[in-house]
Amino acid sequence: MKVQVLKRTGEISATSIAYLLLFAFGVLMVLPFYWMIVASLQIPENLVSFPPKWWPQPPTTEHYMDAMAKAPFLLYYRNSLIVAIISVGCSVIFGLFAGYAFAIYRFPLQNLFFILILSTLMVPIQVTSVSLYILMARLGWIDTFPGILAPNFASAFAVFFMRQTIKGMPGDLIDAARIDGAGEVRIVTTIVAPLVKSVIATVTLILFIDSWNDFLWPVIIINSKYLRTITVGIAFFKDPYHISFGPLMAATSIATIPMIVIYLLLQRFVIKGIATTGLKF
Amino acid sequence: MQDTFLTRARKERWFYAYLFISPVLIFFGLFRVYPALQTLVFSFFKVEIVARRYSWVGLKNFALLLQDDSFIRAIKNTFIYALYIVFISGFLGLVLASMFNSKMKLGAFFKAIYFIPYITSTVAAAVVWGYLYDPKFGLFNMLLRLVGLPTRGWTASSRDALMCIVIFSIWKSLGYNMVIFIAGLQNIPDMIYEAATIDGAGPVTKFFRITIPMIVPTIFFVIIYNTILSLKVFDQVFVLTAGGPAEASTVVVLQIYNQAFLNYRFGYASAEAFVLFVSVMLITVVQYWISRRMEI
Repeated sequence: MKVQVLKRTGEISATSIAYLLLFAFGVLMVLPFYWMIVASLQIPENLVSFPPKWWPQPPTTEHYMDAMAKAPFLLYYRNSLIVAIISVGCSVIFGLFAGYAFAIYRFPLQNLFFILILSTLMVPIQVTSVSLYILMARLGWIDTFPGILAPNFASAFAVFFMRQTIKGMPGDLIDAARIDGAGEVRIVTTIVAPLVKSVIATVTLILFIDSWNDFLWPVIIINSKYLRTITVGIAFFKDPYHISFGPLMAATSIATIPMIVIYLLLQRFVIKGIATTGLKF
Repeated sequence: MQDTFLTRARKERWFYAYLFISPVLIFFGLFRVYPALQTLVFSFFKVEIVARRYSWVGLKNFALLLQDDSFIRAIKNTFIYALYIVFISGFLGLVLASMFNSKMKLGAFFKAIYFIPYITSTVAAAVVWGYLYDPKFGLFNMLLRLVGLPTRGWTASSRDALMCIVIFSIWKSLGYNMVIFIAGLQNIPDMIYEAATIDGAGPVTKFFRITIPMIVPTIFFVIIYNTILSLKVFDQVFVLTAGGPAEASTVVVLQIYNQAFLNYRFGYASAEAFVLFVSVMLITVVQYWISRRMEI
């Protein structure tokens, strides 16, 4: 056994209270996910038995078969991936170039444009969805990928962070590249981008999580089953006449567990990125 | 000669500057700014989308808003929801964050666990909670029965529905608030706590006399962030209660959604969206104003 030397009893109790509290809330944090997985593996009789069964006995994969038969989850995954890759890719690339322009150049109406870009944060999709839908109807973009992507081709968040980071970079590197005859586009792609790669990674990650979990606009713009993203697919998985929680929990497991595993692998990086960007934004 | 060279160089820079910001400006102009202005315009119209007919109705949409019980209910609910989220999730986040210190073993582990709900999709997590809340087969009522307490209606009861959404959202946002507070707390020098310990201050005194005053800017950020997030709440309401039963848990964005995409009253929904816009703008202006003053 490990022997610990503690200075004062007050310190012991304070630390143990801290651990106890953090542990208790930690259990509450994971309990819904635990219950989701247990229920998804539970045989139907056990789902309705009282007292509740805390362990799948015996475990079954029938709900997963059922869920996969009811809804094309691979297709939903593919749609979510297409949307996330295009919207995050465009937002990051456009954000890098615009951030560079705002950080390095001096040009007429610069401040006005920058404030305009930041002010779009005051008109979130919740405000603009109605008129954006009408615009999409006029463009014939309802129920299409361009329609799903439309509000997310660019991100004010990306522009802001690229600008802040590039502003903090030493300017002589860029000047040296210019003297060597490098074009402006090449300076951004070969000199600036590698220098700010950790910020690019953070912004990419945060935008990816947002895109993956996005729901309001996709649920408005998507009508066809085959275009559904994973969030829309899950929301409409429940059929109103026959609520069976086994397949539903299997479906949510399919939707959430891969993301949670990826998150747990990258968690230090994710938490640090979100904490620092959150406070600075 | 020197002069013309410089002007030419500057003109060239301008060209690249506009080239580089143009994708963002074009996409934002088309899909953010233009719809935002349209929202304002449409709120004075009756919009029939299929017939492409726009009829001017003046302030009628806004007059109707004032008599719309569902919308008033939605505003009230959104406000109550925001209060609960800001105070409970914010306060709990701060308490939990202050339990952490740099020496703590398992600190990173707890952080990672608390953050899982935040990175999970709201829709998927709400579906799981919908199961937990189920009056017949849900875990919560089973646990109540297990300890011999009366069961509740949860999302099926008009008394509990809004609270069900609040509890879910506290669970969902707690990790984020905690992590933000941990980042804020790290900026407090250890020296101050050591000095207070020497003076005989206990943990509670230290929390209220040192921690809170030292992280006012972080507290302010968390309040603003959670308030704006609360005004925009939609996903969990849509999944857990759909605003019901009998509109007991309806919120502003759900009203906008229902009016536009279920009742096809686009003009009226625009008026509702305009009210939401004004609220978000007011909070942003207050934030800007206060954060300016705090930095001085």
